[in-house]
Amino acid sequence: MSENAAGKRGARARAARYRSRERAKDFLCVAPALAFFLAFVYYPVVELFRIGFTNWNLIKDKYDYVGFKNWKWLFQGSGCEKLLASLRITFTYTFWEILITLAGGILLAALFNRESRAFSAMRSVLFMPRYIAISTSAIVFMWILNDQYGILNYVLKLFGAAPLAWLNSEKTALASVLVLTGWRVVGYGMMIYLSAMKGISPEYYEAAKIDGAGPFQRFRYITLPLLSPTTLFLFVTTFIASMKVFQSVDVMTGGGPYQSTNVTVFWIYELAFVDFRVDRAAVVSCLFFVILLASTAATMRISSKNVHYES
Amino acid sequence: MSSIRQAVAALALAALAAAGAGAQDAKKYEVKAPVKIQWWHALEAQYAPLVDKVVADFEKANPNIDVEAVYQGAYKDLNEKLIAAQAAGTTLPGLTVANTPLVAEYGASGLCEVLDPYIKATGFDVKDFGPGLTASTSYGGKQVSLPFLISTQIMFYNKDMADAEKIKLPETWAQMDEFMKKASKKAADGSAQRYATVIPGWDQWYFEPFYLNAGVSLVNKDMETTDLGGAKAVAVARKLKQWCDEKSAYWAYGKDASSVMRQNFIDGKTFSVIHTTSLYNMYADTCKFKVGMHYLPGDAKRDSEVGGSVLLIPAKNSQEVKNAAWKLLTYLTSKEVNMYWARGTGYMPTRESVTKTAEGQAFLKEKPAFKAVFDNIGHIYPRIQHPAYSAFAKIWMQEMAKVIIEGGDMEAAMKKAAVLLDEALQD
Repeated sequence: MSENAAGKRGARARAARYRSRERAKDFLCVAPALAFFLAFVYYPVVELFRIGFTNWNLIKDKYDYVGFKNWKWLFQGSGCEKLLASLRITFTYTFWEILITLAGGILLAALFNRESRAFSAMRSVLFMPRYIAISTSAIVFMWILNDQYGILNYVLKLFGAAPLAWLNSEKTALASVLVLTGWRVVGYGMMIYLSAMKGISPEYYEAAKIDGAGPFQRFRYITLPLLSPTTLFLFVTTFIASMKVFQSVDVMTGGGPYQSTNVTVFWIYELAFVDFRVDRAAVVSCLFFVILLASTAATMRISSKNVHYES
Repeated sequence: MSSIRQAVAALALAALAAAGAGAQDAKKYEVKAPVKIQWWHALEAQYAPLVDKVVADFEKANPNIDVEAVYQGAYKDLNEKLIAAQAAGTTLPGLTVANTPLVAEYGASGLCEVLDPYIKATGFDVKDFGPGLTASTSYGGKQVSLPFLISTQIMFYNKDMADAEKIKLPETWAQMDEFMKKASKKAADGSAQRYATVIPGWDQWYFEPFYLNAGVSLVNKDMETTDLGGAKAVAVARKLKQWCDEKSAYWAYGKDASSVMRQNFIDGKTFSVIHTTSLYNMYADTCKFKVGMHYLPGDAKRDSEVGGSVLLIPAKNSQEVKNAAWKLLTYLTSKEVNMYWARGTGYMPTRESVTKTAEGQAFLKEKPAFKAVFDNIGHIYPRIQHPAYSAFAKIWMQEMAKVIIEGGDMEAAMKKAAVLLDEALQD
């Protein structure tokens, strides 16, 4: 009996040792990636929070801890108005980018879901802008939209319309940046939707046809619900990417005119490198990080109830 | 007699001791072993042959020092990289250029090596730069950088047009109204056919002299307030708006405003533009007409400000690197090399031993338009040095552009701006 019990204990101990060896192996496998993330992602985030409590300007070697001074500036001081303005601009931009990506992408996908060389070539043309550097395309768009020498105003004049200061008016500057964005993202949305459409079993459509469903009904009641995981993926990735918009704004408008395109990341950049207030840039970054995290979590939570998986 | 002899002997001894100490100090800054240093600059590809030649000549004269010249983009990009390197403390260049308005912030933050001991020990003639440029490159009474590619504000004008239409360029602010009328042309519907001038609103440096010459104190002595909300400043701002409203001038604003302004001048759509002297070569080479330079009109005084770039040594470098960088710095700012830059670019000769001598006259023969600058070289003053001036300038530019382009009451706008500007300075 005791031998038996001892044997069981020994087997359990061996199993435990085996499990811990396996866990150690697993850990060793992920350790390099984890170390990379700790050093280059999590440590900078922690540092950012710490810098927010100092008066460091990046250049000085010495700095003091100033408590919540920078946070007070952000919530109670002159920073508050600027924060709200930049968040309003950023959310507006994000709303439109998501709309263009999702609505434009799905419409184009429905339109280009054909198998022929011509359609394949057209799909490539639509997708290509995604792989042109933003700075390069932004410069080209600046010249297209230039109020004095741009081709857009030239065409408008041909039709008798008044030229507009596309990038130099606060009414049109953000929309002009969104034109570039739309040109870049709509093809990407189309490709993602197209690959998802190809994964939908044709049996659903055949069954619906037999039941007398027309093309619109098939799209509304089969395609759209089965594309919802793709829509969620596109929504979340586009949301995060567009909230962090910087390059197109930096090249095309520099946050202007009159801060009408001063998106949050551009504002953070200016605080750090133009105003030399990296302490303030740090608190804005921290808050923005929390906003992004909370918004993404909320989106995932709300969307998960409305996402339909084919299986 | 013996007391006189004793005094002379003591003086001689003191002089010898001082000379000995000087020589010893100079030794401290010598490059004793081979060293490699980086020089960060913002000279675009068109200047690469100039940079390569200067570096090759230097290396030939200083075989111990290997220089790697690195183009780091525009001043803005270079500033970002320099700040990042300073924060990291590991990838700093031995020597770097910096845009003139950054001297104050860099100096205040201790980024730059204080050059006074080097100057003293090696007998470098810093006075030859003149008081304006020396002050521009100092901070808190210490020499933290040296003038490199220096420019100032200027009015470029179409000389052929001026001669043909007998347009008199304004010497004073009071003459500006007449000039605006004479040099601009309007269509029957009141739209502009040709502007008299273009005022760059994308950088306050270009319109700052109008305020300074009118006696406006941009940053008061307390360093915390501005007079930009005062009557003098409002009067200047109203005039600028009036000329833009009348379509005699336009306010160039936005990211592409500089290139559009240049194109308008090249195309003859404006009689003149206010820009930096550093672009003289570009205008002279591109325009199909003769390009003249006219010093900006004055009011209570007629001054302009220093622009361009300075050279500095990051203080965090090792002494060995700093010594090599000092050698390179003295070479790059020497009279010969300075003239080489001035000829190859549109930047100005910086040394009085050039501007006030026959060499200067020879330079004027090559570039006669620079007479406008040489005649006023004593009136080129340092930029305003305040660590918060970048933030200040951003607010000012934005408020000016908004009222001039979008419309509104200038006095109310300037008063509102003054509150924001005071806040920025006090911050």
